[in-house]
Amino acid sequence: MNRALTAAFLFVTIAAGLKTRPTYGAVAAGLKTRPTYVAVAAGLKTRPTSVAVAAGLKTRPAYDAVTYERDIAPLLSDRCAMCHHPNGAAPFSLLTYDDARRHAKQIAAATRARYMPPWKVEPDDGPFVGQRPLSAREIELIDRWVADGMPGGASQPPTAAATWTDEWQLGKPDLVVTLPDPFALQADGADVFRIFVIPIPVAGERFVRGVEFRPGNPKVVHHANIRVDRTRASRALDEADREPGYSGLIARSAEYPDGHFLGWTPGQIAPLVPSDLSWRLSSGTDLVVEVHMQPSGKPERVQPSIAFYFGDRAPTRTPVMLRLGRQTIDIPAGERQYTVTDSYVLPVDVELQAMQPHAHYRLREARGDATFPDGHTKRLLLIRDWDFRWQHVYRYVTPVALPKGTRVSMQYTYDNSADNARNPERPPRRVRWGQRSSDEMGDLWLQVLTRNRQDLVTLDTQFRRKVVAEDVNGYEIEIERHPGDTGLRDTAAVLYLELGRPLDAARHFQATVDARPDSAAAHYNLGTALSVARRLDEAMRQYQRALAIDPQYANAYNNMGNVFLVMGKTDEAVRAFSEVVRLQPGSATALGNLAAAYAAAKDFDRAVETADAALKLKPAEPLASTLKEQRDRYRQRRSAGR
Amino acid sequence: MRDEVPHPSSLFPPPSSLFPDTIAPVLTTLAVLIQTLTGAAVDALQPPTGAAAIVYVFTSTDCPISNRYAPEIRRLSERFAKQGVVFRLIYPGRETAAAIRDHVRAFSYEESAEAFRDPDLALVRFTGATITPEAVVIANGRVAYRGRIDDRYADIGVDRSTATTHDLADALTAIASGRPAPHPVTQAVGCYIADLAR
Repeated sequence: MNRALTAAFLFVTIAAGLKTRPTYGAVAAGLKTRPTYVAVAAGLKTRPTSVAVAAGLKTRPAYDAVTYERDIAPLLSDRCAMCHHPNGAAPFSLLTYDDARRHAKQIAAATRARYMPPWKVEPDDGPFVGQRPLSAREIELIDRWVADGMPGGASQPPTAAATWTDEWQLGKPDLVVTLPDPFALQADGADVFRIFVIPIPVAGERFVRGVEFRPGNPKVVHHANIRVDRTRASRALDEADREPGYSGLIARSAEYPDGHFLGWTPGQIAPLVPSDLSWRLSSGTDLVVEVHMQPSGKPERVQPSIAFYFGDRAPTRTPVMLRLGRQTIDIPAGERQYTVTDSYVLPVDVELQAMQPHAHYRLREARGDATFPDGHTKRLLLIRDWDFRWQHVYRYVTPVALPKGTRVSMQYTYDNSADNARNPERPPRRVRWGQRSSDEMGDLWLQVLTRNRQDLVTLDTQFRRKVVAEDVNGYEIEIERHPGDTGLRDTAAVLYLELGRPLDAARHFQATVDARPDSAAAHYNLGTALSVARRLDEAMRQYQRALAIDPQYANAYNNMGNVFLVMGKTDEAVRAFSEVVRLQPGSATALGNLAAAYAAAKDFDRAVETADAALKLKPAEPLASTLKEQRDRYRQRRSAGR
Repeated sequence: MRDEVPHPSSLFPPPSSLFPDTIAPVLTTLAVLIQTLTGAAVDALQPPTGAAAIVYVFTSTDCPISNRYAPEIRRLSERFAKQGVVFRLIYPGRETAAAIRDHVRAFSYEESAEAFRDPDLALVRFTGATITPEAVVIANGRVAYRGRIDDRYADIGVDRSTATTHDLADALTAIASGRPAPHPVTQAVGCYIADLAR
């Protein structure tokens, strides 16, 4: 891959001059002290132990007996049945009294350990959609029921929990796409991550209110990350692998659409959003589904389906996805407490809709906070025992208003020692940021809605800068791993230019030139970065090399012309821009640039004449207005000179 | 539930001087009856002809953790066959012979381990097994090892990408060469056998 920067880009950048390097100190200083959890932890101590419960049984009057019908069936129906039904995601069904009785000890142990129902954030965070933790009292009830010998209740057989429907939970879909060929999962070994790319057959544009994921083989599919790719990048990766899907990384072009979370963990189905909050699905878009599978002990076939639900009108509101997190993660082998912090001060009022923490195996504790302008802090979420397997999206029942000036922050703590059973490396080794599950990540995604379009643009523009500043750290690590990958280098260099760090951009473009000295685009890109860095002589040499390889390279002449202008060599500039006009006779931009060069050379007759020629091509706005202003200014200068 | 087979620990308290962690040696005359899939009674402690030791792997058709061990059980069975070790699957509780046959076929156990039922939990009580999957090695009429296959599962919901200790294999290696298992009792992680009895 070797991307050439556009001429228009350079024209703007040169005009804007050198930007200052962004400073990250303010952001990093956000979290000062580690929060203390004493109060919460102390609260847990009051939970009765099973011994105490068992002792209590003797004195309890008979009418207080815990029964399946009255006490247990409603809990199982409400908190468990969505997965624990026949053919559900859970390993066994819990719909009947017999089911419950035959897994009673397992239920008691799993609920007491708070392993089930899977809900990783603290029970008092939220409230979130689909929140199903059991209260301490409910856990105690289950314990007592097991200790009592699992009494059924008045009816014979005891009345069961609710039945379960195997239909789509969100109703009749408008469109269902299914992986064409099933993926063959081996019987044995470590977890498998497979990325499937499925074309979405829609004609024209649709407005998506929601999707529902069906794993196809719920016993082995543990969770799914879903993205959409409007490019062909994911499809190309899939096609390069002979089996269904591919193994590797999700392409950068596969994104959350218009700031909407897509994904699936067992028992979690995102409710449909109103039509005015839908996302746009255009034809030619691919669905990218990364499926996390656990081998079951026998060969399995996996064939997921995704249902789409469409709205009847275009969205009027678009959420923004804010990503807190670091790509500088570098945890020494054996480190038990490695902390990652990040924060961001909101430049506009927003409503926090949903959150998703993301990390791999070594994270122990994840925390998110909001510190309001008046100084008080609200905990957004706390996960004390991170489990990579349960990466829920936490959607607020009622969105949380975060006024302008609120600082949102995250603090994640990792354990890279052998004491962490989930550590995939034995013995532990140094781990750095990366998207493979053997690497580490640490992100907290926040989905927010702004009050209006203008705030959306403000937030989007501001936040992009922060994201890009973090992304280049990740690119540096990836480039260290794959120094010969010129595509990585070019992408990183473009991000550096966006950040106003042209010397870093030039460093990577230089590497591309070294790897591909015959590429005109590579020399042109390097010349561009050097131009922005005001290393004009070096830039000029790169443009000359680009033109020696490709004499028709209009953009190289264009940037050369700009460099001559900065150097004050106006005649040379006129010659360079004339070449652009010769090569691109229909380009108003080229004529506008040539006009500017004539003006710099104080030839206002030709400047006015050339600007007029540009305007005759009827260019679009804002170029047309710029050209008019240019022409009027040259006319004034012409009159003044006479 | 039948009660004619007493729990051995009540008859023979563990001799702590001999193997501190070992379950009590028992008289080989004591029969612990389990069933073949056709319903024939078999003395669980009596090794088949030519076998030096029997490994019972307690399992069930719907425990995901014991199912995930199927390939490892097959590998261990093959590896220790030369030393005269016979692997057997033991299904405690009410699982039917038909369901067990399907399970054996689905997880390709046919060549690796014969399946038996323990409907009255005779072997469960004799060995003290509580979990599926839990392995029990019977050698010379006594329990020489009881516990996990390896440490892949640290707890329910906490598993390693690969095991770091191979407790059953280490026990079998020692037992096959006439030494006691280095850790005769370990804690298995999985599903509760108590539930299977219901």
